[in-house]
Amino acid sequence: MGNADKPVNIGRRRFLVATAATGGGLALGFSTLAAADVADATAVSGATPEFDAWLVISPDNVVTMRVPTPEIGNGAATQLAMTITEELHCDWSRVKLEFASATRDYVEDNVYSKPTGALAFFGGRSTVAGWNSTLLQVGASARERLKAAAAAQWNVPVAEVEASNSVVSHRASKRSLSYGQLADKAVLIKLEQEPALKSRSEWTFLGKATPAKLHLPKVVNGTAQYGIDVRLPGMLYAALMQSPVQDGKLKSYDFDKIKDMPGVHGVAVIEGGEPLQKLPLITQLPREMNGPRTSAVAVVADHYWQARTALAALPVEWEDGDGAKWKTTEQVVAEALALTGKSGGIVQKSLGNAAEVLAKQPKIVEATYTTPYCDHVMMEPLNGTALVTADRVDIWHSTQAPKHAHRVAAEESALPPEKVFVHPTLVGGGFGRRIGADDVRIAVAVARQFPGRPIHTIWSREETTRQGRYRPLLAVRMQAGLDAAGMPQAFIAHEAGRAIDAGQYTDTGSLTSTIGLSDASYTSGIIPNVQVESHTLPIHIRTGPYRGPGYNSNAFFMESFIDECAHAAGIDPLEYRLKLHANWPDPGWTRCLKEAAKQAGWGKKLRKGMAQGIAIGNFGMLGQPKTGTVVCVVATVEVSKKGVLRVDTLDAAFDCGRMMNRDAVRAQMEGGLLFGLNMSLNEMLNIKDGRIVEGNYDQYPMLRIGDMPKIRIHFGGLSDHERYSETGEPPVGPVGPAIANAIFRITGKRIRSTPFRVHDLSWT
Amino acid sequence: MNKTLNINGKPQEVDADPATPLLWVLRDHLGMTGTKFGCGIAQCGACTVHINGAATRSCQVPLSAVSNGSVKITTIEGLSLDSSHPLQKVWVDANVPQCGYCQSGMLMAAAALLKDKPRPTDAEIDAYVSNICRCGTYVRVRAAIHKAAAMMNGSHHG
Repeated sequence: MGNADKPVNIGRRRFLVATAATGGGLALGFSTLAAADVADATAVSGATPEFDAWLVISPDNVVTMRVPTPEIGNGAATQLAMTITEELHCDWSRVKLEFASATRDYVEDNVYSKPTGALAFFGGRSTVAGWNSTLLQVGASARERLKAAAAAQWNVPVAEVEASNSVVSHRASKRSLSYGQLADKAVLIKLEQEPALKSRSEWTFLGKATPAKLHLPKVVNGTAQYGIDVRLPGMLYAALMQSPVQDGKLKSYDFDKIKDMPGVHGVAVIEGGEPLQKLPLITQLPREMNGPRTSAVAVVADHYWQARTALAALPVEWEDGDGAKWKTTEQVVAEALALTGKSGGIVQKSLGNAAEVLAKQPKIVEATYTTPYCDHVMMEPLNGTALVTADRVDIWHSTQAPKHAHRVAAEESALPPEKVFVHPTLVGGGFGRRIGADDVRIAVAVARQFPGRPIHTIWSREETTRQGRYRPLLAVRMQAGLDAAGMPQAFIAHEAGRAIDAGQYTDTGSLTSTIGLSDASYTSGIIPNVQVESHTLPIHIRTGPYRGPGYNSNAFFMESFIDECAHAAGIDPLEYRLKLHANWPDPGWTRCLKEAAKQAGWGKKLRKGMAQGIAIGNFGMLGQPKTGTVVCVVATVEVSKKGVLRVDTLDAAFDCGRMMNRDAVRAQMEGGLLFGLNMSLNEMLNIKDGRIVEGNYDQYPMLRIGDMPKIRIHFGGLSDHERYSETGEPPVGPVGPAIANAIFRITGKRIRSTPFRVHDLSWT
Repeated sequence: MNKTLNINGKPQEVDADPATPLLWVLRDHLGMTGTKFGCGIAQCGACTVHINGAATRSCQVPLSAVSNGSVKITTIEGLSLDSSHPLQKVWVDANVPQCGYCQSGMLMAAAALLKDKPRPTDAEIDAYVSNICRCGTYVRVRAAIHKAAAMMNGSHHG
């Protein structure tokens, strides 16, 4: 594990995967199942008269926009439609969304993914560089073609016609035609040159309008269709059980015991291992995300309840394999902590000479921290519906990454990608869990055994939770050398865990788990001497991106530890952070610190048992100033003497540069803070004999509406820097450390692991 | 043997085992997928429907308990004919849902609450709407319930 043969793992792959992880920016995408089906089936051959791959305007004046991003709840799909609308000047109430076809993208030379690469078909964000210029041009180009069609029909100069609200008009002659009336002629027009785009100051819709997300009317009347709602003629249901020890194997089962149960058709046995074929890279998400296919058994029946009941009655034996050696959670944590004491890890960051400088400082602060495995527990359990025939595969699926799902479905069916059709549905929560497509692998592997029948495979809640691709358990040992003024001159961190899976059976490497530690502001120029190394814990439990990968643990480690340094220096925690960032070349940090502190009334007198804590972080920066989104949280907290914790208020200030949609950003901040709150207060998975213990919400508690602190989102941290960064993941990080830092001020107890609910917080 | 259910004011014939939870009767046998599966153990509330007007987690109600002909079942599809319930309107206007998956359960819980308590306090909302939302829409759910209550009282529907 020498440094020489282990290159620093902060390359392009990490950026792509990390930013692709979860609830990023804003955005849309909604189509009915039928509409998506039609789009997939016909659009490849170009049967529909269209302006381009993105846009169709029908005679009834409906503008259909084909958007590659799925809708996972952050509004990314709506936001992309809004971007087209800004230049198209169409009537927003007549805009309809369809999910773009990954098959068409494959067949037609990356027609959708050219502008943004791997992130095109990724539901995490609408803020990816490349979207704006591409989609604004799509809108502007169609608008000018509609104007040209009208001008030709009226025999007037194009300069005399105007386009507004889906109508082209000629003021002098008081004539007008709707986009729907002009579309069949406009699609034939080729512009001599592409129109120039409006400047940002000329925008009338983007940055101003905050319409309801386009899928909401169907949500509120129950007609919204998620993957689990897919119903097809002749469809059968499958109830699934995978090896309880991940990477274990099915040993035996006894179908005879259930074959006469009501509705039962049969059992599908899924062998663990590699796909039927491996395709060249057709998406930049690595094939190996979420690991190879698991060993599993599924009972197939007429109805899900029958399948589930029969599965519960099916005698099954598993061969646990090596993973069973991990007897307890404590054993895993101890092993990870032991690794943090070793030298010679993978160097994730090295600046100056940390060891030498640290030894010379008058004061050394040292601490170890841990975080547990966490699951996404998105509300829609994992599922997938596949129809496999000799020459075609269709999969209806709530995927966060349709392009990746397309590739995985092709690999699992051994059919060429042009014969594989992914029909994205709405997604009942993603948070990173539905990127890697292990669910697609299983759904296709089950359906392959029932050719010609659509098979709808459902993971129970317990199966979903116990077969996660988890936020990894991490342990870290940190040391800081403080100078005479109490400021850190050197920082050393050794972190241990299983990196977020991106590579299982190739050498393409893994998504590092040190995001937020090795690329934070403190370790990217503020502290002059830095050494961050990671150590791999050789454990079988699979990991994956979870809202704010790496950062969701590391922000807790980093910001709690900085608080320890401030305390050791005898400096107020806010003042300490302001001093540290005084010369940091991104003023957003200082703005956010000051804004959150001001709004929260930092330093105000609180009753005994109450205190405030502060923390700041950035997701997406990857070591660069003026990149990603900064979030600062001040938590106002109460702890009773008996140790009952109550979070009273979270005040958050942020800097994502600029915003496209203020309300959508607010929603992501609200949701991200609550995600971070639940993660820090409640979430922990335990291990017993290599298995995950917790299966359902009774064991994995979630905050309810009555548990909410006051949430106050402040916009005064925005710098107006020319970027539109993601807002879904950044708020997750600073919530926990802000609360832990407040707990310390009340109780004198430094909380060095999550979740907080398992700690004794009593004080006298 | 076929059973007859009264769902959204209409009789519906079902051929299913009497032990089948109402949730799966609705979703798989009747194709009414607005009522969602989240946990199967009455924790999350995604499967909330009204049974004789009371918000009930349908994953815990066997078919046999609701098929005697006198039990009135209302699902999200029957909350209003045309999405005109004030909660449905406010939900869209205020951009309450994110992914939306838990929201039919939220709406059914909130609708039952407003029938009982036309002007609910925060504490009454906390007690009544115990549904789980992983996206974190609680801030907006609370505000939207208060707003819908005000609309309903203003127009004498309360």
